[in-house]
Amino acid sequence: MSGLSGEPPDMTGQTPEVSEPTPESKVPSVAARLALWQRSGGVITPILTALIAFLIGGLVVFATTGKNPLNTYKAIFKGTGLSWLSPVSIHWHLFYPAGIHWTGWDTTSPTALNLQQTLIVVTPLILTGLAVAFAFRCGLFNIGGNGQYTVGALVAVQFGVWFAGLPGPLHVIVAMVAATLAGAVWGGIAGVLKAATGAHEVITTIMLNWIALWVGSYLVGFNGPLQDPRAISAPVTRPIADSAHLHVFWGNPLLQGLHVGFFIAIAMLFVYWILLNRTTLGYEVRAVGFNAEAARYGGISVGRNFFLAMAISGAFAGLAGSIDILGWEFNLDLTVVQTVQVGFIGIAVALLGRNSAIGIFFSALLFGALLTGTSTRNLDPSVFQPELAGNLTRIIQGLVVLFVGADLLIIYLWQARKKLRLPQRKAAEQP
Amino acid sequence: MKRKRTLLWLGVAALCALIVGATASAQRSATAKVALVTDIGGLNDKGFNHLSYVGLQRAQKQLTAAGGVNGRVFITNSANDRKPNLQTAAQTGNGLVIAVGVLFEFGPLDDVAPAFPNTKFAGIDVDYGGLSKKPTNVRGIQFREQEAGYLVGYAAGLWETRHPVKGKMVVGGVGANKVPAIVRFLAGYRAGVHKANKTIKVLIDYANDPTFADQAKCKETTLNHIGKGSRVEFEAAGACGLGGLSAAKQKHIWGIGVDADQSFLGKHILTSATKHVDVAVFNTIKQFKANPSGFKAGFNTNYTLKNNGVGYGKLSSALSKADRTYITKKVNTIKTLIIEGKIKPPTS
Repeated sequence: MSGLSGEPPDMTGQTPEVSEPTPESKVPSVAARLALWQRSGGVITPILTALIAFLIGGLVVFATTGKNPLNTYKAIFKGTGLSWLSPVSIHWHLFYPAGIHWTGWDTTSPTALNLQQTLIVVTPLILTGLAVAFAFRCGLFNIGGNGQYTVGALVAVQFGVWFAGLPGPLHVIVAMVAATLAGAVWGGIAGVLKAATGAHEVITTIMLNWIALWVGSYLVGFNGPLQDPRAISAPVTRPIADSAHLHVFWGNPLLQGLHVGFFIAIAMLFVYWILLNRTTLGYEVRAVGFNAEAARYGGISVGRNFFLAMAISGAFAGLAGSIDILGWEFNLDLTVVQTVQVGFIGIAVALLGRNSAIGIFFSALLFGALLTGTSTRNLDPSVFQPELAGNLTRIIQGLVVLFVGADLLIIYLWQARKKLRLPQRKAAEQP
Repeated sequence: MKRKRTLLWLGVAALCALIVGATASAQRSATAKVALVTDIGGLNDKGFNHLSYVGLQRAQKQLTAAGGVNGRVFITNSANDRKPNLQTAAQTGNGLVIAVGVLFEFGPLDDVAPAFPNTKFAGIDVDYGGLSKKPTNVRGIQFREQEAGYLVGYAAGLWETRHPVKGKMVVGGVGANKVPAIVRFLAGYRAGVHKANKTIKVLIDYANDPTFADQAKCKETTLNHIGKGSRVEFEAAGACGLGGLSAAKQKHIWGIGVDADQSFLGKHILTSATKHVDVAVFNTIKQFKANPSGFKAGFNTNYTLKNNGVGYGKLSSALSKADRTYITKKVNTIKTLIIEGKIKPPTS
């Protein structure tokens, strides 16, 4: 159970919902202290990870453009639209605020548009993050989020085109459920293979990604069965019926405002937590994740849990695909099938979020904000050249993933700091 | 006191006149603000995004009169960037927004353009007739691929005729898929070959590549043609066609490139049927610059041989001098005839 084991399922302590009995009257037991340490380490290491990634990203910005990285980061933050949440804008003069202006919450401002776009990107990232995290908790590494997402998107678009006569909410639910099931099947295949033959899920999910990509390319590509017959010059499906559109609650529905799918993703964070921590299924999944052999000895069917964990993971990713289609995309084109990265970014989201619901929310927010903030739309060319803007996103993303992978090092440093402090304290206490 | 007030009024009036005059002159010599919204693939895609960017850069360099052109590029990294990019481009005061790529036709232009009636939009490869809401401030930009196909077909036919072999004379054309632009290229190609020599057999086949990027598919189709005796292969197939062109190189026959001048691939490229996206972007900006408020939209603009929207690329340096002079002369004659409207290459 030491944090040094590096197993992501171990690092669950920071979630407030894990209630550790901390006897307040007595001296805390070793276990409680360990939990406390894990809790602090659990929160602090991802933050350190992100900070170090940004620090090195800043050095890269400085080395390549010769410009002050702080200005670049300020511009990125401005582009994320997150400043909309604060009703006042503060003008900083070096280190002290030079002026504070009341801006209120103007829902038509460009900042509002940016925040809407950030949250639209965050929505599927939460879900693909969950797709990776749920499998992680069962000791499985689901790299197939991208394929499961693609399958969900394909099914959602076709169900959105069919059943055009259905009333709005029903049509949305039908398309969403079908896409979720399709994602579950796609993930479940890897689970069954793992349970039945021992085929490693990393290999099978990567293969299933490619199968989804090429089947999808065939379906929506030129002369494919899903290609819009009216759009013969473009590899794109028919648009889904209006009744299958998710309700846009903020912004202009025609101009890609924020849709209610965001709340579905938030709700799924709670579902994830309840499923893992408050059900027998979740208990078994976690038991298998901690130690499959011990779980088997305890009478838990490991194979069944491998299948269920992968199927539920796939369901989250499939749902993500359907929310993108029904929320803002409305059709599916070949370039999307071939270039979508949502499932892969989900791996980074789960790693940085340490597989906990609250962690996944914040790391999805971080990655979504980075994607929106570094788009050329928001990053002024005078701050950063348009040719480089997209690459900066990838640099920071890559650094975050690298350091998440290297969080062992960070945990070690964190521990070393405590060890250093302990003798100091002892020395201070002795006289 | 009264005089003072008169003076004050005079001053205010002068100030007003100054402001009005300044804004009026600002309008006359205004910088043209132009935005370019690319599609997925990045600025260095060696394709439409890149060529459009070249057109914008040329416009900024050459159209320097009266404030010049202020260009801004919006790169589309993923599908969810398309609409916000168009919207932000319009909101930030760009009078002309150029969207690159056919996928803007299905949703983005239809939804965003009507919300910004004072902004003009142009879509590269967008067919105005395909827009479901027909926004009146959108101009489609289309190319007459058949004219470029006709010229390279004619060049292929001339070479084949000057280098006869025993038996049948065969040339081929490969398309990635049966989509309108490709069909037009190949229809022009076939007619061009026959213009040079009616006895040459023209094989036309489609690789049926759903992605336009699967080189193996075009290579297979091309090798099939070469097996049937083809000595010139025209690859109207984007990235898929690169496979066909490498097959031509392997089998020591001529290849003909498409879209960009692909002579950089090697001496086996006889010539290329080129589509000048950069010229289209430059000309669109030029028209807008000349008269921003009078920039007409609500239809397609065709880019043709006449306005240098399509053409043919460099002839291979491996051609003998006699061949090169002969082909250049003959092709240019035909080019003039097409420009004058005396030859109308078929579209299917």
